[in-house]
Amino acid sequence: MMAVHETQGEEEFADEPTEGGVDEVEARVGLAYTLKQVKRDSTARMGFYIIAFITAIAAFVSIDYYLLDYAMAKAIPFLHHPERDPEVINTLLPPVGMENGLGSGTWEHPLGTDHRGRDILTRLIYGTRIAMTVGFMATAIGLVGGTLVGAVSGYYGGWVDDVLQRITDTIYAIPFLVLVIAFMSAFGRDISYAMVGVGIASIPVFNRLIRSRVVSIREEEYIEAAKAAGVKDRNIILRHVIPNSFAPVLVQATLQVGVSILIVAGLSFLGFGAQPPTPSWGQMLAASRNYMLPAPTFSIWPGIAILVTVVAFNLLGDGLQDALDPRINN
Amino acid sequence: MSEEPLLKVENLKTQFFTEDGTVRAVDGISFEVYEGELVGLVGESGAGKSVAALSVMRLIDSPGVIVDGEVTFKGKTLVGYEETTGEPGEPPELVEREEMLTEEEMRTQIRGREIAIIFQDPMESLNPVFTVGSQLREFIELNRDLSGTEARAEAVQMLREVGIPEPEKRYEQYPHQFSGGMRQRVLIAMALACEPSLIIADEPTTALDVTVEGQILDLVEELQRKYDTAFVWVTHDMGVVAEICDRVNVMYLGEVIEQANVEELFYDTKHPYTEALLASMPRPDRTTGELNPIRGVMPEAINPPSGCRFHSRCPDAREVCRRVHPDLRAIENGDHDGDENGRVHRAACVKHDAFDVGYPESEPLENEATGGFEVGLTQEGSR
Amino acid sequence: MGLLRYTVWRCLQAIPVLVGILTITFFLTNAIPGDPVSIMLGPTPSAEMVEQIQARYGLDRPLHERYFSYLAGVAQGDLGHSIYYDVPVLTKIIERLPVTAYLVFSAFGFALLTAIPLGVISAKRRNEPVDHVSRIVALIGVSTPSFWIGLLLIIVFSFQLGLLPATGLFLPWADPANVRGAATQFDVVVESFKRLLMPMVALGTLQMASITRIERSSMVDSLQNEYVKLARAYGVDERGVIWKHAFKPAQLPVITIVGLGLSTALGGAVLIETVFEINGMGRLIIQAINNQDYPLVMGTTFMLGALYLVGVIITDISYAYIDPRVSYGEK
Repeated sequence: MMAVHETQGEEEFADEPTEGGVDEVEARVGLAYTLKQVKRDSTARMGFYIIAFITAIAAFVSIDYYLLDYAMAKAIPFLHHPERDPEVINTLLPPVGMENGLGSGTWEHPLGTDHRGRDILTRLIYGTRIAMTVGFMATAIGLVGGTLVGAVSGYYGGWVDDVLQRITDTIYAIPFLVLVIAFMSAFGRDISYAMVGVGIASIPVFNRLIRSRVVSIREEEYIEAAKAAGVKDRNIILRHVIPNSFAPVLVQATLQVGVSILIVAGLSFLGFGAQPPTPSWGQMLAASRNYMLPAPTFSIWPGIAILVTVVAFNLLGDGLQDALDPRINN
Repeated sequence: MSEEPLLKVENLKTQFFTEDGTVRAVDGISFEVYEGELVGLVGESGAGKSVAALSVMRLIDSPGVIVDGEVTFKGKTLVGYEETTGEPGEPPELVEREEMLTEEEMRTQIRGREIAIIFQDPMESLNPVFTVGSQLREFIELNRDLSGTEARAEAVQMLREVGIPEPEKRYEQYPHQFSGGMRQRVLIAMALACEPSLIIADEPTTALDVTVEGQILDLVEELQRKYDTAFVWVTHDMGVVAEICDRVNVMYLGEVIEQANVEELFYDTKHPYTEALLASMPRPDRTTGELNPIRGVMPEAINPPSGCRFHSRCPDAREVCRRVHPDLRAIENGDHDGDENGRVHRAACVKHDAFDVGYPESEPLENEATGGFEVGLTQEGSR
Repeated sequence: MGLLRYTVWRCLQAIPVLVGILTITFFLTNAIPGDPVSIMLGPTPSAEMVEQIQARYGLDRPLHERYFSYLAGVAQGDLGHSIYYDVPVLTKIIERLPVTAYLVFSAFGFALLTAIPLGVISAKRRNEPVDHVSRIVALIGVSTPSFWIGLLLIIVFSFQLGLLPATGLFLPWADPANVRGAATQFDVVVESFKRLLMPMVALGTLQMASITRIERSSMVDSLQNEYVKLARAYGVDERGVIWKHAFKPAQLPVITIVGLGLSTALGGAVLIETVFEINGMGRLIIQAINNQDYPLVMGTTFMLGALYLVGVIITDISYAYIDPRVSYGEK
């Protein structure tokens, strides 16, 4: 009674989902496809717009830093230079429309001023530079490092795999923040070390992801076919394995930018991030700690800035995940 | 004639309200199941047979809704609505008749206790984190009002009954320690142990190897005789039907298109679709070495074809088939006006004399079966 | 049987990772700039004193020798001697560890108690208003810096409302004699709980949010399983279907997330202890770094890593306990 199905089965097999849905994801890789999916998903779209906006600000203030320092401050009187104390010291002013014991808010400082009389809004805007740079760079370091380690480890297996995995396991075992602090205490409290430290600490995240995919893809037929055709190992990894892991890595990287921003804010809060007077959100929160009683609003704004930025990355990451993973769609 | 059916399904309609439109998965089917009888529900995948079976137990999840029809079981109304109203494409406003069982009554009086179920995939049907025994015991305790120790003894006994060696030891084990065939035996034990009057088996052997399938079918036949439980056996496999069913309902695109004793269905086939199903199956009594798969693909249940739903693939289709929707009617050809219980052979095809719609004079219709289109083969069952 | 063997095997697996942590912390902290000796002795120490100190802390020996003697010491339970506090590192850790453990465990307790019902209800009422609210809360929760939540809590509950003390934490079984204004042990328990509330919420919010997310998605998956349908078909009531048949298998990914969350929480404890001025491990490590007290930096880093490993082993064992396939070596 079975023979009938076997003779007729061939057509069906082509349509059947492969186990684990790897093939379905494969069919949906590529930047064009990703962008199309992001456009369709409203939460992803919202995340994307917020990130684009903040990135634009960060780029704008970076230009200001390096090229247009003085001119910019002149051109837009609303933007005071974040690192220069104003001539008239109006410290710890409340936001516009509010009053505290030290004065009342004015439109000149819409969110009020900090303990040195600097405009909070300006410093928040300039804070995007550190947050975004470190967020993206640290993720890029983790991504490249993790992909490399994971791909090599998963592809070769054996003792190479064992050694590399024990090392990443060890890195993973030390709490993220503690590892970065230890790293920075060894090399220095500069923001660039924070970036590298967070990047190294996030290598295991990408390593795991890539390695598990490489191991599963390694067994698949087209890799066998490539090998049979005499393609070199290195080329197999670069041309087949890594592009095929695009979707989950993109999701993870997006989420990791958010995580990195949170970590760097924490580092700055502890004094391990950007050093004053460079404005960063975490360090603003650290400064605000001493003025929570007279100027409680000082503590609110930098937190909101971090929150909105990280929410945006999480929205985009979640949206990408939904868009790129057909299993969750159903 | 006098015997009341155990389960009576009349004009049952179950629809799925999706973004793409309303899927009329079950579209007005009627059938009966008498006590101790093994009734087949057969058709290609997508014919709506599983949905029909689950609708009987009211186990349809959103976006599926039973929108119309009546299901009575042992005099209780499982499904029964007052007049329903609603916009097309939207779930209708349903007013339940007073005698229709509430969800709570379904749970406590019907599910498990009176009607049990065996699902298709034995690998997925058992909870991986509980022992096989504890799952059996829980359902037995619940549906037979036994104490824990009694239920345990019953569970072990039932495992022995379905042919599981060392049942005491197996009782303590987890599902992953069982093979597919053994798990299906456990699920059969589970169904029988609750002592229901009716067991719905939703393609229970489809996921198994042929040899294991044979063993399971033998086991079911044996236990069915012993316990005299009625079965609704959902399958796409005419071979399974031939082996175990007493009566058969052939479904196509949400409708029952032929209804007969198994012998009559096989030897006095009335509907071209049933013929096609039978022709696509290897039979030792037919010596032509060739199999004839059904040509074309089943249309979608969102937009069923006009007239007879099979007309797009029917080798005997005529112009009239596109216009006239044939309902299920008793065959009046003298020989078979019902068996000893008055269970009649019915078919829904205008070829039969009962329909006087001018089939013989109508023009032949060009379609997927007669060569109008060349579409891939379909029949489910690739394992 | 299977479970016990699995436990032993899992503990043995942790040993190379522990050695790895020691190695990383050793070489990182030995790269610390600045000379700890000069910190102890001031800017102009006599050569004699320098030698004496170097000999005492073994700084006169080559790096690899120091590394192996450090490993040997740790194997015997000796984490070295704190330069700044002039006590054994282990003594300092034992002094500080309980408060951190109290804080972290309470944070997870808070997170689990709120996240599990929230996630399950969210999954059960998928796409209903309750679900939307809980998803938004969870999204904000995973995106908010814990130390900022701490600051906001202090502003509201300590400075504006004056309900809770802003700083300090001690254990509920602390001696009443050491707690100001406490006459009985009961007073200590109450005071300890009042001081615990804010740091617990601040530290636990991230965990709460991420557990809610995983609980929801895991339950959504689980509720679609055949075995859940089977339980319904056999007349199990809705409560049993959700909280037994769907819930237990759904906890596997949740356990994994809780295990990973422990690492985040230990890191978060550093921030929260700073915000609330709690003298625990987190603050100790910051103080050690600021004092360039490298034996203490090594010891605390190692201890936090070891603590995380213990947590991971516990979660792995509970995973194996729930999923019989793990302890039988099939997964």
